[in-house]
Amino acid sequence: MNTQFKKGVLELCVLVLLDRKDCYGYEMVDEISKNISISEGTIYPLLKRLKKEDFLDSYLKESQDGPPRKYYKLTGLGREKKEQLVAEWRKFSVGVNNLLYCGNNDNLGDFKDE
Amino acid sequence: MNKKEYLEELRRLLRKLPKEDREDIISDYEEHFAIGLEKGRTEEEISQALGNPKNVAKQLKAGHVIKKAEVKPSVGGMIEAILAAMGLGLFNLIFVAVPVLLVTAVILTLLVAGFVMIFAGIYWVLSPLLHFIIPQLDLPHFLTSGGILNVLVIVAGGIGLTAGGIILVVAMAYIAKWFYELLIKYLKLNLRIIKGRKRDF
Repeated sequence: MNTQFKKGVLELCVLVLLDRKDCYGYEMVDEISKNISISEGTIYPLLKRLKKEDFLDSYLKESQDGPPRKYYKLTGLGREKKEQLVAEWRKFSVGVNNLLYCGNNDNLGDFKDE
Repeated sequence: MNKKEYLEELRRLLRKLPKEDREDIISDYEEHFAIGLEKGRTEEEISQALGNPKNVAKQLKAGHVIKKAEVKPSVGGMIEAILAAMGLGLFNLIFVAVPVLLVTAVILTLLVAGFVMIFAGIYWVLSPLLHFIIPQLDLPHFLTSGGILNVLVIVAGGIGLTAGGIILVVAMAYIAKWFYELLIKYLKLNLRIIKGRKRDF
């Protein structure tokens, strides 16, 4: 997959995960790499950047085993960003699918007019 | 690479970052190692999965340098930011660099032209006076010859020239600022490209 294509995908994944629940870094890496192969180290610079752009906030929380962990949570701005990226992704993937499965795209019809 | 080696390498690569930022990121990786070990992975496995510390450091550094150029605008800072983004292997920047240089050259030229106009105008306005005070001063003929009408035309022209120059300089300053901000935006956009391993996806 080329780099242009990856643009924003990891960002989207992180924002979606955090929209469901607050997570610590390792948790997100685990969840994402279950589905997509990523270089695990790249997630931390991404988290740092998203935090700097005020899409995320972080706090420390005690864990049952071991030292406190750094949890990340979505800010209001981050939630807006997530909505925007999800909408873009949906539009994009529907478009590509229409091209790939030209002819039998009945099941995609629901998304088509978004 | 074990945990200690990985973190030391990362720390070494990030030595130019402010201490606070560096320790913050190191603590993130320390936590990652700690949790990974708890889950029964070995240090080697974890650092393998994290990927080359160089890639991690490059991204962090580029982000830092671009931020710096944004907060404290300077030509040197911008050049540093462009180079850092290029270090991430974003080849499209090379195609961008040439237009950027061209636009910068045009802005600079017009800026210099504006200043020349301002000073030439002032010179025109003052020249009749200068000629009056120091008659032996060798001024261009067209500025001093003729009667009072010619002097008036020269003074009016000088004022107009200065005003035009000021407008040009102010306009260029605004355009330069806008262009700088546009560049920062573009560099930030490029930072969104997340580099992964070759076998990704």
